[in-house]
Formats: sequence, C-alpha cells, structure tokens
Amino acid sequence: MLAVYKKEMRQAFTSIFGYIFLTFLLALFGVYTYIYNLKMGYASFAYAVSSVTTFFLFLVPMLTMRSLSEEKKQKTDQLVFTSPVSVSGIILGKYLALVTILFLAVAVVSTYPLILSKYGAVNMKVAYSNLGAFFLLGCAYLAIGLFLSALTESQIVAAIVTIIVILFTLLADVMKDMIPSDHSISVIVIGVLLLVLVALSFIMMRNKIVSAVLFVAGFGAMIGSYVMKPEIYDGFLTKLLGWFSLVSRFSDFQYGLFDATAYVYYFSIAVLFVFLTIQAIKKRRWS
Amino acid sequence: MIEVKNLVKRYGSFAAVDDLSFTVEDGEILGFLGPNGAGKSTTMNMITGYISATEGDVIIDGYNMFDEPEKAKQCIGYLPEIPPVYPDMRVREYLGFVAELRKVPKKDRKSEIDRVMGLARVEHMQRKLIKHLSKGYRQRVGLAQALLGNPKVIILDEPTVGLDPMQISWMREFIRSLAKEHTVILSSHILFEVNAVCDRVLIINHGKKIILDTPEQIIHTIGGTEGIYVAARTDKAAVDAVLNSMEDIQTIREERVPEDGVYACSVFPKAGADIREKLFRALADAGLPVLEMRSETKTLEEVFITLTGEEGTC
Repeated sequence: MLAVYKKEMRQAFTSIFGYIFLTFLLALFGVYTYIYNLKMGYASFAYAVSSVTTFFLFLVPMLTMRSLSEEKKQKTDQLVFTSPVSVSGIILGKYLALVTILFLAVAVVSTYPLILSKYGAVNMKVAYSNLGAFFLLGCAYLAIGLFLSALTESQIVAAIVTIIVILFTLLADVMKDMIPSDHSISVIVIGVLLLVLVALSFIMMRNKIVSAVLFVAGFGAMIGSYVMKPEIYDGFLTKLLGWFSLVSRFSDFQYGLFDATAYVYYFSIAVLFVFLTIQAIKKRRWS
Repeated sequence: MIEVKNLVKRYGSFAAVDDLSFTVEDGEILGFLGPNGAGKSTTMNMITGYISATEGDVIIDGYNMFDEPEKAKQCIGYLPEIPPVYPDMRVREYLGFVAELRKVPKKDRKSEIDRVMGLARVEHMQRKLIKHLSKGYRQRVGLAQALLGNPKVIILDEPTVGLDPMQISWMREFIRSLAKEHTVILSSHILFEVNAVCDRVLIINHGKKIILDTPEQIIHTIGGTEGIYVAARTDKAAVDAVLNSMEDIQTIREERVPEDGVYACSVFPKAGADIREKLFRALADAGLPVLEMRSETKTLEEVFITLTGEEGTC
C-alpha cells in the first residue's frame, strides 16, 4: 500500500496535475477570502469556504481522472495487480494519495483564520468546522471520482462523467425544490430508475433469470404499494434528490451550526465509493 | 514449480482456455506455443493472478494463486506482452517503485536494483525518462522489473517481439541463463525461438493443449516418415531406374531443379526402414554422381501446422 501511495504522490508532483490542483485551489481561497473577509468585511470565514466548494466540479476530476483509467490504458495495471499487494491495499494507497493532496491545500488554508484574527474577531469554531466539512466533502468527491475512473480506460470519459455526477449532486439541491411532488410522477420516475437498474444488472451479470426476477419483483412491489397506499410516493423525488445532495449538508456550517451527521454522511460516501472501487476492480478481473 | 490444473477461462459461452493442465519443474524452461489468439496470454494472466480462472487451480511453489494470492504472487516475476512501464518515470525511479511493490527489503533495494539493471543491461539508461527509451530498451526495463526480488518463477509473454535481431539473440541467451536458478515460462508464436530456448514445449490452440513434450520428441512423434533429399548430376529416368529397383521405398517426390543438368528428389522410405546407406550404394553402383544427400527432418513449424491444421503466423 505504501509503495502505491508514494508512487501516486510522486507522480502527482512530477506531472503538472498536482501543482495545477494546489495552485487553483489556493488561488480560489485567496480570491474569496479577499472578497468576503477583506474587501466586504464579513467576520465569518464560512462564506469563502462554501464559495470554493462549487469548484470541486473541476478540481476533483483533474486529480482522479488518471488514477485508474491510465493504469489500464498503459497496461501498468498488469504490474500492479500481479504484485504481492491486495487490491484493497492498492486502491487505498491511491485514494490516500488523493486525500493527502487535498489535505495539503486545506492545511495551507487553515492558517487563514489565524491570520484574519490578527485584524478582527474570527469565530474559530465556525471557521474550522467549515474547513473540516470542506475537506470531508472533498474526500467524498475524490472517492466518487476514483470509482468512475475505475470504470473506464479513457481519462476524458472519466473526467466528463465525474463532472456530470458532481454537477448532479450540486444541482440536486436546487432541483429538489422545483420538481413536482405528486405521486404519479414519482412512480414514473421510479419506474424508469428500476428499468435502468434491471438493464445495468443484466449488463453486469449477463444473467437473464436474475434480471427477470429483479424486474418482476421491482415492478410488482412498486405497483402493489402504489395501489394500496399511493401517498407514500408523495414528495418521494424530493427526498430521493435530497440523499444525493452533498452540498445541502454544507449550508448548516455556513450558519455557524456544527452538524456531526454531515461529517458522518461525507465520511460514509467516501467509504462507500472506495469500497465500490475495490469491488469494480475485482469484478473486472474476476468476470 | 508451477502446477496448472484443469484451468478454464470462459467469456460467456466462449472458452478462451479450455481445461489446460501441465506442470513445470524447477529450473525448467517451458515454451508456450500457439497461433495468435490461441489463449497464451490469457493463460499467463491466470498463472500470474492478473485475471481469475473460471475453473481450475494454479499452484506456484505450493501456494494456490486463488487462495493465497499474495504469497503466490511473491514468487513470480512477470513481463507481460506490453512492458508495464510508466512513461513519466525515470528507469531507476521505476525500478525503485517495483522493488517496494514487490516487498524487497529496504536495505537490499539499492543493490537489487543495481543487480537487475546489470542483468538487463540498462545501467547507462537509469537516469532517462522511460518515454524517451526505444522499444528494445523498454522491453529490457520490463525484464529488469520481472527479475527484481529474484523470484523463483519468471513468466515472459512474447519477450522478443519488437526487438532487433541483435537484441533477440541476446534475449534468448539471457533466458537460457535464467534456467539455472529459475523456473521459466516463455510464450511465443515463433517456433524457431521456442525450439532454440526451451526444454519442453506446450503447443496450444483454441485454448486446448495439443501436445507437451521436448522439441526433439515432438518432431520425432509427429515426424512420421522422414524423407531423404538426393541431388545427382543426371536425368530423371536414370534415377528412377535405380530407385525402382530398390526395396523399402514408399514414395518419391520430385524437387525443384537446383541447377542445370541436375535432378533432385525426396525419397520416403517405408516406416522404420533406414535406406540411407543402400541408397548411396545403389546410386554409386549405377555411376550416378551424387552432389547432395541429406535427411529431411520436419521442422517444428511443419509439426505445428500438422498439429493445429492451420498456418502458423510467423
């Protein structure tokens, strides 16, 4: 694991990507700190932090797009996966390297509230709980990016899909207030999602029986529950989108509240996607 | 020692490798021969644990690849068809990474890297970026990588592809020298190469084992009747007259005329008969000057075509 970690760190800083990532992230923090705290005179560091979160959209794929897709393309995965290191060790090494690079930026930024406190009262608790949430949100996005890069050989595809997914998590917050909440539309959307799920299960497993069972059971449950108790579908889409809205959990921090469940949520997303990455790699080699 | 037992790899209904079993003893070089798409690389990828098997077992030095992959992988050095190198790394840096990945103890790492760079003759390239190296040097760096940690088993997938003739002959000699301390599996679609380097040859086609034996034995088994090529300064009628009076001759095949006024043919004796001496005396007694006479042994190439029923790709 350590060997992979060190290699990833070295590669990030012998190529241009690590530098671009850090430069870009630090420049954004600098600009927003200047605008909100210095120019406009807000006392809270939270505005600057939450403004930068949007830019994960471009920053995350920059780091993650190469991670696994490039190894597969260059066939170096034949070296890595035939070495006496477990798949989990390899993926964790890669993921921790990504997290470390993000941490470097956050560590630099964590001096800003201290500097600001020389010139006025800064609520340290708010500032650092925000920065902590920012870091964990980044970790969650990095895990998602890593997972998507495990699915393809092409960096470009990995980057584009990562941008789309992160965009979706950003827009989910806005969309969930706008979409209709009556139950018939919910059912239609769930039906479409079920179809996608069945199709995916068939593509992954190539097993007609499993997919057929999934299809019958899914639609049976959906139609059955809809006939018996349609009101459970009220507002379902709003809830569903709410689950995917990573940024909406950030807003509490902005108002100075410390929300431990958000930390847990981000951490769980990160763990889930690292786990999924390991499974995707194992699956690819074991099918 | 490598034991492969009933190895099967299926992709849907297509069997890339179909019930393959063989054993490679310590210090032996096994040649893995088959046309493109025969399942050579798939088998090697299963032996090295890169992909799984649908059925069957691979046992490396007593460790089952699918039950104890880390221990089994520790015993193997693998050079895949395309050398697994990072273009943006320097040679020494790359080998340092592989040494750590392969768990070479920290104190031995430097000397071990120097050792394999010496063996693969890439010392003078150690500061270069791999992307600036030629195909031949990349292949050598890949070879150096496979030797790191001195693994017992070394697996080389088409190691001479893309090399120039000098490098090919060096590579062959080098592989031969490995056999003293290592067990080697080498795949190739070049028959001559396998013949020159390997102790035993496994021929596969469509994922199935066709034959496993020493190169000489394979030629002998499949060889059937060996022909004797004769060229004499005379005409067809004279030679035919002599041959027709002899016993133990099955068929005569006319060959291309080597020069004006010379007749050449291949004589195939009946099974088990050695007619070389008799043939010489018969022609000499008839006063026909023999310019050339030699036994025609089937090459591995012909054997291969006989066995697989298709043209080998060279």
